Amino acid sequence: MKLDPRTKLFLALAANGMIFTAPLVYSLLMVVVASILLLLEGKWKFVCTFFFVYLTAGFFFDQVKNLDIGTSGTIILASLFLMYRIMPACAVLYYVITTTKVNEFLACMSRMHISNKVTIPLIVMIRFFPTVYDESRAIGNAMRMRGIRLFSLRTLKNPVAFLEYRLVPLLVSVTKIGDELSIAAVTRGLSTDTKRTCVAKIGFRWVDFVVIAYCLIVVCAFFNVIPGL
Amino acid sequence: MRTTGKKSSNTLVRDLVNVGIFGALYLVLSGIGASIGFIPAFIVVSTCAVSLVTSVPLFLFFSKVERPLLCCVLICTLFGVVMMFSGHGISYGLLCVIYGVLAGLSLKLFHKNFVGCLLANVMISFVPSSMMIPLWSSTEEYLAYCSSVCDSAYIAHLAELSSSYWPLIGLFGFGAAGAVVGGFVARRVMKKHFERIGLAQ
Amino acid sequence: MNISLKNISFSYSDSLDDAILKNLNLEIRSGECVVLAGESGCGKTTISKLINGLIPHYHSGTMDGDVLLGDKNTADMTLAEISRTVGSVFQNPRSQFFNIDTDCELAFGCENLGMDPEEIKQRVANVVQEFHLEHLLGRSIFNLSGGEKQKIACASVSATGPEIFVLDEPSANLDLKTIADLKEIVARWKKAGKTVIVVEHRLYYLRDIADRICYVKDGQIAHEWTPAELEAKGAAYASSLGLRCMNLGMLNGREGVILSEACDVIVSHTCSERQRGRLAKQSIMFDNLTFSYHHKHPILDIDRLELPCGQITALIGHNGAGKSTLAQVLCGLQGSWHQKRAARKHGTYLIMQDVNHQLFTESVLDEVLLGMKPQDENLALEILEGLNLKQYAENHPMALSGGQKQRVAIGSGISSGCDVVVFDEPTSGLDYRQMLAVSATLKKLAASGKTLLVITHDPEFILNSCQSVIRMEHGKIVEQYSLSGHENQLIKTMVEC
Repeated sequence: MKLDPRTKLFLALAANGMIFTAPLVYSLLMVVVASILLLLEGKWKFVCTFFFVYLTAGFFFDQVKNLDIGTSGTIILASLFLMYRIMPACAVLYYVITTTKVNEFLACMSRMHISNKVTIPLIVMIRFFPTVYDESRAIGNAMRMRGIRLFSLRTLKNPVAFLEYRLVPLLVSVTKIGDELSIAAVTRGLSTDTKRTCVAKIGFRWVDFVVIAYCLIVVCAFFNVIPGL
Repeated sequence: MRTTGKKSSNTLVRDLVNVGIFGALYLVLSGIGASIGFIPAFIVVSTCAVSLVTSVPLFLFFSKVERPLLCCVLICTLFGVVMMFSGHGISYGLLCVIYGVLAGLSLKLFHKNFVGCLLANVMISFVPSSMMIPLWSSTEEYLAYCSSVCDSAYIAHLAELSSSYWPLIGLFGFGAAGAVVGGFVARRVMKKHFERIGLAQ
Repeated sequence: MNISLKNISFSYSDSLDDAILKNLNLEIRSGECVVLAGESGCGKTTISKLINGLIPHYHSGTMDGDVLLGDKNTADMTLAEISRTVGSVFQNPRSQFFNIDTDCELAFGCENLGMDPEEIKQRVANVVQEFHLEHLLGRSIFNLSGGEKQKIACASVSATGPEIFVLDEPSANLDLKTIADLKEIVARWKKAGKTVIVVEHRLYYLRDIADRICYVKDGQIAHEWTPAELEAKGAAYASSLGLRCMNLGMLNGREGVILSEACDVIVSHTCSERQRGRLAKQSIMFDNLTFSYHHKHPILDIDRLELPCGQITALIGHNGAGKSTLAQVLCGLQGSWHQKRAARKHGTYLIMQDVNHQLFTESVLDEVLLGMKPQDENLALEILEGLNLKQYAENHPMALSGGQKQRVAIGSGISSGCDVVVFDEPTSGLDYRQMLAVSATLKKLAASGKTLLVITHDPEFILNSCQSVIRMEHGKIVEQYSLSGHENQLIKTMVEC
């Protein structure tokens, strides 16, 4: 049941755009559609775990609101509650991220006539996260070998130095990789002047229209509740 | 005899790749800085931590890009777009674009000297600070929603927090202060390290 | 398509006074395979950048002269146009790919040039079949080895169908088996009539393919030979020019393979508890070196590893045999709590392949003082003197050359009080003289009583400095032997792969 990436983007925007302000029913409706799509993809394990955690947490908050746990307790509860609120959005995001390949995403961006100036940094950003992680881990290993640890006397005496040790090699490494990446890109014809084509096939089908219609109905139904869009 | 490597669409790609890379770094580091905000008492200080930690990479970014206005707008827009997909409305995205324009203009007007970079850093520090605005701007709806699930004491606390705008100003203020202090730290780090290595231009 | 460089002078700064290339002239005929060789910093990479258009369109500097591809001047073309004719493959596999999975990466170059999607699919299918990459399709690039990444890079560039290929030290981070695959790729391009220009230190794998070797020195092409001519001149001539050997099989006859020469000692700083037992030991034992990710099949499966004390041991094996994992477990960076404790007990230290990860401070002296407990500036200066770095004590570590950075990392290891030093590919991408310098430093370290384990793919280096060899395969130690008298065995293993 392949959805066009543009539909997925619209779904993500509709579901997450109103996390903080829309009523609970809204989020649940969005979760329903995300769960159906995930089940169709075969990810029933995630859906089951999600519902289990979500319902348990809902039950927990329901019971706790009648107890008196004092000011600090309420504040901690409030923070946890915030995370609970984000869960439906996470479910939708999980669906969108795990079922969209990068080149499909780029193809849909170019169909929407978003210029290369935005898509190139996006590709680089997505491709760069694992690299940042790897470099960071290597530097962390090197620091451990030298005996520089986060929770040690030396760090407590001089926290700025710890930040320096962590950031400077990372930035040097990242800059070098960035330079090599741009050179590789530019010698392979990447430029903002030429229009890129995409191998990925995307296009709207009947499923897309169903999902979009559903989202629009939900958004309109709660329109009076949604502030200043 | 002629100069090579003049500003052109090829060097634009270099700038765009830098936006992508420093954008990724900014996202990761601001996420780490903001995780301090999970401790409720530290929510207001979390923006300070974020702008402190992200100052050094941002200063390096400012020194490397050839087109400051475009790159600042792009990096803020990208951050805004990513955040839009995790719960902030389109208005947040627009705010980010505005901050990006202001940051880019500061860099251009001051020709990337220290004052310009400091101002740009402060502008960009408003980006994570603005993430908290919904608590104040849509208070009534949020409270109404909360009352269905929480008890009155908690509502009273939230109402107290959002009744005055001082905490919000505090958020922005802490963020800006962090950016200023971070700017001085970043300048020292640039002098100590990056200029001697030859990375900063 | 012929390439001509006419009267090229180029400098990376604002004036031509410190030009790296001076009045260079080079003609390359269509279908030729030319190797540009020379010592580091001679300007051969700059020549390759002139051909693929990075100079004058990307790098800033000052230039004089013309570069013609066919009959068009590169200064009049855009980089995108040039990239239709010239395909470039670079040295570092990790920073050449733009996408996350292999299928997208193979299509990337063609997509950039705006080709029709059906045509792109056809070209990608052709290139996959030609280069035998079926097993690499549909995988995340982050899970590929360096050699596989380099193959994808070559295939991706080949898919756009350029006439000219420029390769900048493509074998630098590869093991011998992957270099053989690379040789096949270059041979295939040559057979298809393409012009191939390779900037290289390792000449042996291009022996049968290259038409001529141009030796670049002081910004000029000083010599030109065919591979047969260079080989005939003998190994001594090649090493006097700073070139690596042309024929691996000839390595045995090399002069200078003195394994037990007396050399200076580096003053060291050893943990006192270890010092007591150290003098009596003949070898260091590491026990129970098993390791696996997520309880899948073990990546490392070694019961006991014995390293002769005070000697240099080479660790060889194909990519994926588990050498890097062994290095990490030995140094306590991965593995169980027991393994980490054993690492601390033995005092192991790892010099990483990318030394930039290990340099933190603003001066070389601070770097050496960083791991020292208690901090003693005089001792630090003595350590630096032993490593020929005393004159750089106030310099920033990252502003030094690659070899100097490596020595700074070694110095910081010594000051941390380590006894066993593990090196991860210290000579990849180095020319002959630089390799000898690394070899000298390691021999000095060994003479000071440290035990060294070197992961390497460099047979010349092993013959020059190591006393014993350990070979690994699939996470197990397959053989371990002392090198003296068994050089042939080593060469046979490495050449055959």
